[in-house]
Amino acid sequence: MGEKLLQVQDLRVSYHTYAGEVQSVRGVSFAVEKGETLAIVGESGCGKSVTAKSIMGLIQDPGEIKPGSRILYEGRDILKMKKREWRAYRGEQCAMIFQDALTSLDPTMRVGKQIAETLRVHGRAGKAEAAEKAVELLRRVGIPNPERRAQEFPHQFSGGMRQRAMIATALACDPKLLIADEPTTALDVTIQAQIIDLMKQLQRELGAAIVLITHDLGVVAGIAKHICVMYSGKIVERGTSAELFYHPRHPYTWALLKAVPRLDLKNKQELATIEGTPPDLLSPPAGCPFCTRCRYCMPVCKEEMPPDTDFGGGHQAACWLHDPRAPKVDAPFVVRKEAGGI
Amino acid sequence: MLKYTVRRFFEMLLTIFVIATATFFLLAAVPGDPLSDRADRLPESIRENLYRKYGLDKPVLERYVITMKGMLHGDFGESVRMPGYDIQKLLQETLAPSARLGLQTIVVGVGVGLLLGILAAMFKGTWLDYIIVFFSVLMISVPTLIFGLLLQKYVAGEMGLFPIIGWPSGEELWFGGWAYTVLPTLSGCFSYIATYSRLLKTSMLDVINQDYVLAARAKGLSEPQIVRRHILRNSFIPIITVLPMSIAFALTGSFFIEKIYAIPGFGRYFIESVQSRDLSIILGQTVLMSIVYVAVVFLVDILYTLIDPRIRVGGKA
Repeated sequence: MGEKLLQVQDLRVSYHTYAGEVQSVRGVSFAVEKGETLAIVGESGCGKSVTAKSIMGLIQDPGEIKPGSRILYEGRDILKMKKREWRAYRGEQCAMIFQDALTSLDPTMRVGKQIAETLRVHGRAGKAEAAEKAVELLRRVGIPNPERRAQEFPHQFSGGMRQRAMIATALACDPKLLIADEPTTALDVTIQAQIIDLMKQLQRELGAAIVLITHDLGVVAGIAKHICVMYSGKIVERGTSAELFYHPRHPYTWALLKAVPRLDLKNKQELATIEGTPPDLLSPPAGCPFCTRCRYCMPVCKEEMPPDTDFGGGHQAACWLHDPRAPKVDAPFVVRKEAGGI
Repeated sequence: MLKYTVRRFFEMLLTIFVIATATFFLLAAVPGDPLSDRADRLPESIRENLYRKYGLDKPVLERYVITMKGMLHGDFGESVRMPGYDIQKLLQETLAPSARLGLQTIVVGVGVGLLLGILAAMFKGTWLDYIIVFFSVLMISVPTLIFGLLLQKYVAGEMGLFPIIGWPSGEELWFGGWAYTVLPTLSGCFSYIATYSRLLKTSMLDVINQDYVLAARAKGLSEPQIVRRHILRNSFIPIITVLPMSIAFALTGSFFIEKIYAIPGFGRYFIESVQSRDLSIILGQTVLMSIVYVAVVFLVDILYTLIDPRIRVGGKA
């Protein structure tokens, strides 16, 4: 076990809307070690992006981080930081890569200047030096002809190149923690693989920890050491990548894994889906949030939230199926290593 | 870009030609002519002479050809109401007061408007925002002319703080005689304050919700830095569209204000020439104003490419 860089403890985030309080994140805890990659996986609206924004201190009105939540960065509770401390933390200690690089880059500012901006605001470099470093960063993320490209505007970049430029922006100050919020979602599959490879390569070189937020299990397979599966604002299963892929314990993880398209899929065979929709977080259910969509739902599931069951090695799942009193159920399928699908 | 510019130039010429033609025929279609009110009282021979002098004895189409030919040389014909005057001479005398009033109005109106817009956007939902919105609605709903008359009556008339009418001339034409200019400028600038504060506020609120503002915050920029470096520049795109139009509009005269405060400006003469059906002056002023407007629209398109690099007209993206 390495040193803990980031610890999120019982994070609760609510959004106050006209309809009432939407509990987006309902008590999430996880830790990231220095230099490791943690993936948070879940479908739209499960609270994964809100979790990411909380770590960056980007939750704004009408959002509220509930009292009692703690986010420790190098042992210090960042939720108690002052404005000025936040500014020093953002970008320099912890940087974020956003989902849509087109809308996340200022359309009226040259790309090089946007990268240099991070260096400038943290007083890392003077104007000329920052511009030079920006070109260097563009080269590092694999953009050909970086001197010319730094002078261009975001709309002159292709989708993949924009995401590379975003990564360059995030890396400018050598942050120890990188939050990547769906970094590949807006990209073609081939470009996705390139971006993931780039992130892996940069992580090796820089030793930054990465929190990778995604809905795509295929993306996390090769990069993440640990995976948290989120559902309805809660982490329902967590463990190492290998554990989660080869010995998944939670019915939701089973369903997610089954929904990943596979190379050995027969032609015209329908892709697996998860029926139904997640519960309304305006009035979260008392029991397991997945029970309405779960094939193995038991009466107790509707009454009470299942506790985490520990399977050793940090692998935990919150499901009543693992209670000693529950009927024995095996995973409906196995991920075979030799299939090469994942 | 060159090809585009040349094409746009010819389109501008065509537009001005169409405007001139339309103005001419509209004026010709109105019953009566500039001489009719006094012609009745004149003896037959003098009347015929007068009509011949201004070319009004000829059929409409022939007059159209003569007018257009003259226009090519910048000759719009002599004023009927003010003998010895043509449009050029009138412009020489009236443009300066109009331009000064227009510039002062624009500088104060747009300046204050943009400032209030920024405040309203940054303090959205607070009492400051509500006060600004309230006054914007008030200032945009009440016509300029009402403000002009109210200020004249109370501030100048009853309180006697400023002269009631008049405008600096001679040495003070451009700088000086400020007391005369305060009320006209104030009455004129309200609508600009309202328009620009609302426009910038809406635009800023739109930009504030953009992802790149969140990204800038994630980079560690402070709020003032975000506003300065990212929000303002992007919010100014709609302003750039409207601003040159306002400037053109203000420079070519604020009809009502010039009338109310007896300012010897372009706008006041425009109203008076329309009232007296002074054909050559109306035509001259209309064509000149349309030249200004068309040129401004062209300028806006060029400005756009400067502030928003995404817009590259007629070229490759």
